[in-house]
Amino acid sequence: MSLIFPNRERMALKQISSNKCFGGFQKVFEHDSVELSCKMKFAVYLPPRADTGKCPALYWLSGLTCTEQNFISKSGFHQAASEHGLVVVAPDTSPRGCGIAGEEDSWDFGTGAGFYVDATEQPWKANYRMYSYVTRELPQLINANFPVDPQRMSVFGHSMGGHGALICALKNPGKYRSVSAFAPICNPVACPWGKKAFGGYLGADQSQWKAYDATHLVKSYPGTQLDILIDQGKDDQFLSDGQLLPDNFIAACTDKKIPVVFRLQEGYDHSYYFIATFITDHIRHHAKYLNA
Amino acid sequence: MDLYDSGDGLQAFPAESGRMRRGAAPAEVTSEPRGAARGQPPRDLEEEVDELVHLYGLEDDDELADDELGDEFVTENAPRIEVSEYAPHVGTRGEPATRQRDWRLGAEAAGEADGLGFGGWGSEGQCRDLREAYRFARGRSSEEYECYVIPEEEDEEEAPDVFCATCKTPLRAAEKELDEHRGHEVTPLSKALESAKDEIHRNMYRLEKQIIEMENFASHLEEVFITVEENFGRQEQNFESHYNEILETLAQKYEDKVQALGERKKEKLETLYAQLVSCGENLDACRELMETVEDICHEEKADFIKDAMAMADRLREFLETDTDVDVSAQPALEDQTLDFSDVEQLLGSINAVPAPSAPVINPQAPNSASGSSVRVCWSLCSDDTVESYQLSGRPARDGAPGKGQAEFTMTVKETYCSVRNLVPNTQYEFWVTARNGAGVSPASERVVYMTAPAPPVIKSSEVRSCEEAALIRWESGNLGPVDSYTVELTQTETPGASGVTESVVGIPTCESLVQLQPRRSYAIYVRALNVGGPSARSEPAAVHTTGSCFRLDAHTCHPWLTVSEDGLTLVRGDGRAPAREPPPSDARFTRCVAAMGNLVPVRGRHYWEVEVDERSDYTVGVAFDDVPKQEDLGANCRSWCMRHAWAPPRHKYEFLHNKMTPDIRITVSPRKIGVLLDYENSTLSFFNADTSQHLYTFSCQLQQFVHPCFSLEKPGRLKIHNGIAMPKYVSLY
Repeated sequence: MSLIFPNRERMALKQISSNKCFGGFQKVFEHDSVELSCKMKFAVYLPPRADTGKCPALYWLSGLTCTEQNFISKSGFHQAASEHGLVVVAPDTSPRGCGIAGEEDSWDFGTGAGFYVDATEQPWKANYRMYSYVTRELPQLINANFPVDPQRMSVFGHSMGGHGALICALKNPGKYRSVSAFAPICNPVACPWGKKAFGGYLGADQSQWKAYDATHLVKSYPGTQLDILIDQGKDDQFLSDGQLLPDNFIAACTDKKIPVVFRLQEGYDHSYYFIATFITDHIRHHAKYLNA
Repeated sequence: MDLYDSGDGLQAFPAESGRMRRGAAPAEVTSEPRGAARGQPPRDLEEEVDELVHLYGLEDDDELADDELGDEFVTENAPRIEVSEYAPHVGTRGEPATRQRDWRLGAEAAGEADGLGFGGWGSEGQCRDLREAYRFARGRSSEEYECYVIPEEEDEEEAPDVFCATCKTPLRAAEKELDEHRGHEVTPLSKALESAKDEIHRNMYRLEKQIIEMENFASHLEEVFITVEENFGRQEQNFESHYNEILETLAQKYEDKVQALGERKKEKLETLYAQLVSCGENLDACRELMETVEDICHEEKADFIKDAMAMADRLREFLETDTDVDVSAQPALEDQTLDFSDVEQLLGSINAVPAPSAPVINPQAPNSASGSSVRVCWSLCSDDTVESYQLSGRPARDGAPGKGQAEFTMTVKETYCSVRNLVPNTQYEFWVTARNGAGVSPASERVVYMTAPAPPVIKSSEVRSCEEAALIRWESGNLGPVDSYTVELTQTETPGASGVTESVVGIPTCESLVQLQPRRSYAIYVRALNVGGPSARSEPAAVHTTGSCFRLDAHTCHPWLTVSEDGLTLVRGDGRAPAREPPPSDARFTRCVAAMGNLVPVRGRHYWEVEVDERSDYTVGVAFDDVPKQEDLGANCRSWCMRHAWAPPRHKYEFLHNKMTPDIRITVSPRKIGVLLDYENSTLSFFNADTSQHLYTFSCQLQQFVHPCFSLEKPGRLKIHNGIAMPKYVSLY
């Protein structure tokens, strides 16, 4: 194990693993998060091109119940990332081991279900600040410790992470060059998962929820060029359950002339098999803007 | 043998009268000098010739006085002598060795001079000489030469490691601070060595070039040498035969003269002798009369008177007869004028020439003709002298006498003539006669020449291109067939372009697919060729290899569609049907209101954009030539396309192939669709060209070439944008 000591002690990174992959390295680090007040792990893939220069960074946000491991072990993104020279960062989906009561009670709330919001309600608001973590603390950490170009970053994700990717991009016009999503929760304020999570983290005032709802955020998006690619399995159980609600998002985007290509993929479900099938398209989608 | 033996003898013989002596003299003239030449230096020959010249009164002839020709005229076998005399120049094969040796020696001499000048450098100078010698001996192999380049100049104590450029001296690093090199430009020795080597290499290169030039020049000289030798040899033979003829004539003349002289002498002597005899007879008669008269004087008076009277009559009679005392023959010779007019004529004929023989007209040289002219060449027999040629010609048209059969002639001094104002791509037959003072030669054979074709005409509206190639089509521009066409291309608008013209030759048909560089501008020309040569350039066609350029093919258009003048806009009007139905054909779409473009058949990447009305129903895609024309685009395996249908407020996008489409929703309707056809990856991609959004990519099996296709399901229009540089992002798909 090696330690990297940047300027500040609190940014110390501890390397957990490192594996050579498509000429680059897939690594996992642990650090003490300030936003989340706990130890957090994240995965980072360094392509071969990172040996010689700064690369763009692409942030992947995982779905419910996932850790940093799911994406790096199942999606098969490495080859495309290696070819396009993208540093791919995959954080965990929530704080862990914070000892909050009820944290572990359900798979769609608490641990593994941070929903990429900054909680305002007790007892979550001290630790469950995933939005700030993925949009500020983590990028700062990555920029300081890895050969990345801070001006070139993009975000994508799956399901809850797809929701996270969309809101990160829509809430920070110009910060992300591009955004894409696999089966995202497009309109959380209107679906059971979102209602449960937002109710828990943000309180009963539904008007506060809209700040973290992609479909609502589109309506106030200032129109900066943003190319959104969404893949959705047609046989996704959560699509038919009304958890994802892509039509609402598409309608809002059509209305606001925000360019979306939404591909309803015949026969695919919600799994990483679906993600692995189209991950290359998404990496290319981001590479198009990150390497432009 | 004493040369003057014969000379003495000859000098004597004009006065002598013996026939035998005269007959022997010419034999001596030809045989004796020959013998002399074998054993004696040529100078003697010259003297001998002078003798002969004097003898025959020919010394006023300039050519004979010329030493060299004089030699060769007299010495019939002279060429053998000549060979030995010229051996160093003629034996050119052996010559380089001699030359090398000389040069080497020269260089050695220089080396010695060096040695004298620089003492210690002597060894290097010699080394250089060896090198040079080696180079000449081994064909200037620079690698071998390299071996000698390292200077052997060793310093006893310490090797120099820097080089003072100002003093041109190698130094030890420590030395460079010395006063004498202070402020001088000092470079590391290795660097100096490098630059010195470079310099040497450059010089070597120059020397090599010079040597090659000199060798070429030498071989040229050799050729000239041989030619001169041959020409003079021929002239020598010519002179020899002529002068022999003159000598024979002179000998004959001499004999005739001497004979005539002898006859005249005999005649004169006989006349004088006869006179002498008659003179004696007279004298006797007088004496007898005298005696008779004396006898009478001693007789008696009577007898005396009687006899005296008789005697007086007799005396009177005798004295009355005339005594001829004139010399009947004059001892002096009459004026013997020598008539040399025929000799003069012979001498004159040495330079006079016969009428030339018929010239040989050459077959047409390739590429010697233009569209309106041919260059006819011929040659003369080497012995002939020609003052001028007359070239005649006429169109060689079979079975069409009368019209256009006018013969034409022209007179030239050269053995070629450019005949102008002819008709392109036409055969003409030519023949030529030679003329000099003595007359006109027979005509040569008739040879057919052909004018080059007229320039073709590029069909500029059918030029299509992509980033790597252009398809050019043209009209022949000639009535008759031509052999082939040449396409020439020049880059234009290239800063500092050298104007290099590339050519594609031997094109049998009236079209060519020309390979080009991406994103350049070209001017493309076509020439037609036949045996006579190439035509002038056609008018240029401008091609820009940015993106792909094609036009809509009006032959494929559904009757309800109209194509704009520039072939890039497709319009479906509101009206039902056009006034006139165009003739149906296999190429024309019948049910689907569609049209096709004609893309250049190159298996690369093609990109074009289509401007559409977001409220119209359109289809944009590609299809094989043989796509079923009665079916909708995308409704079969022969076409791939993006179809838009507007059912307010919804826009429906389908990506159709074989009636199947993925389920794709697009939130922003593209106004300009980018289409990327990629043969290499067998893909067809669609983009929103305004936002660079990727819409969809087909994976297609493109065994054949496909063409862009378009349809309008409702009245409306679409406009094709060609010549657009492929956006960078499309290369990802």
